[in-house]
Amino acid sequence: MTISRRDLIKAGIAAGTALSLPSVLRAQTAPADARIARMVMGGSLSAFDPYYSTATIAYNHAFAIYDTLFGFDSKNMPQPQMVGQWGVSDDKKTYTFELRDDLGWHDGTPVTAADCVASIRRWGQRETGPGPQVMQRVKDISKKDERTFIIALKEPLGLLIEILASERIFVMRERDASLPPTEQVTANIGSGPFKFNHALAKPGASFTYDRNEQYVPRNEPPDGLAGGKVVNVDRVIWDNIADQQTALAALQTGEVDFVQTPPSDFYSVIESDPNLELQVLDKGGEDMFLRMNALQKPFDNVKARQAMLHLIDQEAMMRAAHGDPRYTGTVTSRWGNSPPYSNDENTGWFKKGGDPDRAKQLFKEAGYAGEKVVILQPTDWAATSNASQLLAATLRKIGVNAELAPSDSSALRARRENKGPVENGGWSIFITGSSDDSFRDPIASAYLAPTGEKGWAGWVKNDEFEALRAKWLDVETLEERKAMAREMQRLWWDFVGIVFLGKSVRPIARRKTLTGLIGVPDFVVMWNMQKAS
Amino acid sequence: MAAYILRRMVSTIAVMAMVGIFVFLLLRLAPGDPAAIIAGDTATPQIIAGIREQLGLNEPLPVQFVHWALSILGGDFGTSIFTGRPVLQLISQRLEPTISISILTIILSVTIGVSFGIVAAWRAGGLVDRILTAFATLGFSVPVFVVGFFLIYVFAIRTRWLPVQGYQSIDDGFGPWLVHLILPTVTLGVPYIAFIARIARASMLEVLSEDYMRTAAAKGASSYSMLFHHALRNAGVPILTVIGLSFAGLIGGVVITETVFNIPGVGRLVVDAINNRDYPIIQGVLILVSGLYVLINLAVDLSYTLVDPRIRY
Repeated sequence: MTISRRDLIKAGIAAGTALSLPSVLRAQTAPADARIARMVMGGSLSAFDPYYSTATIAYNHAFAIYDTLFGFDSKNMPQPQMVGQWGVSDDKKTYTFELRDDLGWHDGTPVTAADCVASIRRWGQRETGPGPQVMQRVKDISKKDERTFIIALKEPLGLLIEILASERIFVMRERDASLPPTEQVTANIGSGPFKFNHALAKPGASFTYDRNEQYVPRNEPPDGLAGGKVVNVDRVIWDNIADQQTALAALQTGEVDFVQTPPSDFYSVIESDPNLELQVLDKGGEDMFLRMNALQKPFDNVKARQAMLHLIDQEAMMRAAHGDPRYTGTVTSRWGNSPPYSNDENTGWFKKGGDPDRAKQLFKEAGYAGEKVVILQPTDWAATSNASQLLAATLRKIGVNAELAPSDSSALRARRENKGPVENGGWSIFITGSSDDSFRDPIASAYLAPTGEKGWAGWVKNDEFEALRAKWLDVETLEERKAMAREMQRLWWDFVGIVFLGKSVRPIARRKTLTGLIGVPDFVVMWNMQKAS
Repeated sequence: MAAYILRRMVSTIAVMAMVGIFVFLLLRLAPGDPAAIIAGDTATPQIIAGIREQLGLNEPLPVQFVHWALSILGGDFGTSIFTGRPVLQLISQRLEPTISISILTIILSVTIGVSFGIVAAWRAGGLVDRILTAFATLGFSVPVFVVGFFLIYVFAIRTRWLPVQGYQSIDDGFGPWLVHLILPTVTLGVPYIAFIARIARASMLEVLSEDYMRTAAAKGASSYSMLFHHALRNAGVPILTVIGLSFAGLIGGVVITETVFNIPGVGRLVVDAINNRDYPIIQGVLILVSGLYVLINLAVDLSYTLVDPRIRY
């Protein structure tokens, strides 16, 4: 066999091409520009309007493009945001708000008091929060001049500023805010620190937010949802990566900078990568709980509901749901762990490891006779799906005839509206979760109110608790509210509105080049964030 | 021929109509409620009812169907319940990635699959045949997502040669477009290569045992001439059928690959829509895909005349 000069040249060219191929290809896939942050959020943005949808991702979107009148700082104190100055009359019935300078819509027009009035009115129509109850106390909301508006009350409402802050009233243009909250605003024009890029919007795939060059932040350091909202990147792209394994791989290679909800089995991989970091942004975390159908057997009997309180081993539940014990804990107060009203009233039911014997006894006292207990299991939500399976096994161990009903979340939500018995497609238990912070306010978390058949799925009823809840807005001081919170909690754990399964503080995963993320309860905000090259 | 094509086109419309009715009823009978999803987990029945009313979901099913059917006949596929955008606009945004992967996959699969099939048949029983048959069996057996994650690990995470995920439009340049499609195409191509290779091998083996092939060999025809002029043309009809079905299947069946590689194609669109019960999108995609499926089959049927002049329509 002989090798000609021509063969040698051909082989050389081929080898050179092969060796240079990786760099050529890599050049095509260079990491994103240092002024562009790419984020994988914990859900898919499908509805844009935060008054129309209660999905967390809709609020994340709203925090980017809209601004709020007030915001809570990191100490849960309300601070003015769009409002420059405000005052209250001596009789505490008239609040006057003056907008700060240089507020403008993304379409170039100025923000006016009329926009604020319309936005508050729209919030007031929304039935999931305290809006309707607050509006009952409002005599009038009116524009005084282009930058000043007035809220006149029928009677004093000491919590008004706190409600305006905690309710995150996103201010929209008057023409958008004039739509009822059951009709979605899709214009996506706000006055917030980011502009929604309509041209690059690919629903289901990616959404792009550009820095609002005209936005004038408050001249204060950022502090929770208050303070100066300074944007340090030119653009943020939300990549909707459905597969978590792919999201992790993209984070490892620098194609994305942030993954909001990495599964706990990825934590060790992330921790071993020198370029990545886990960070807990929402220190309050999320509380997982189960809700029982109080209209049907066996949970129409309060003893059976109390049995569930004693049965649950929160640590075991959290291990099944979230895995890593470093990021889970227990919760016993009806108000959650972090809100100021958290207390230990009537929490004697809590026992490390649970108390199955006591639970069995209570089921017996409830007259449980082997009725089928159907647990709705959302197969597309891993944490609650796993907890549902453990719950079924735990119930079977004490002789309860538990059965899982697996379905996707959409079908589950439809089924749980069925008030009938399990034989007619009804249900007994479902598991869900809410941020620890959301338990702070019995008016805002109205869905948990024990109003019976008019209320949220589960339909538990307790008039005594409702009477106290109705007085909540009238209580003036924090200390008085704390005392009332203890009394409400005593009732709550007697009639058992929900049963906590534990709490988790799920860390986000980010590349170490992405810094300055602000930790706020429940949401991800994008101001102050910086990206190094 | 013209009459045949016309008949098939009419049947396409009939198929689309049947798919439309079936999908409409199936979706409405399936459990789930878009209003409940929009309203969120903590919404009360009153809020959900308000949204249902606003979306027109409280109207009787026949009324909803007539509204929808009339809109479709007028070329309006409706708007997404969630985003408020026209369904056709959403589908058109997603068509390019799906068609790009499908075309590249079919080119890769046909080139390699047919080559493997020919070589395996030509060397039937030998080492090459056994190796290729083993590859075909493996290609069939390993799930697409396993192949996908393996390729991501090797070519994206370890070597950093290729991107993990995403899609670049061909408008942004041929290079970035191609680079983002290499891994998805190879991943999706593996089972199709295996499938086409097996069919090509079987067809070629059948033809190679025919008397006229022995005659050709006796007349001194070269191996190239025997394989490509005599055998392949006669083995072409079943291979073309498989290729056509594969292509049609690819258009609607790239969901897993699009998910693994985060490609915003039609497959992802329809899966997200199913999860959200976004009825207009699901209906629109399925009707269009069914129409495309029938048209691709028509194209395959017509292509038979190219490889077998005896076939007439």
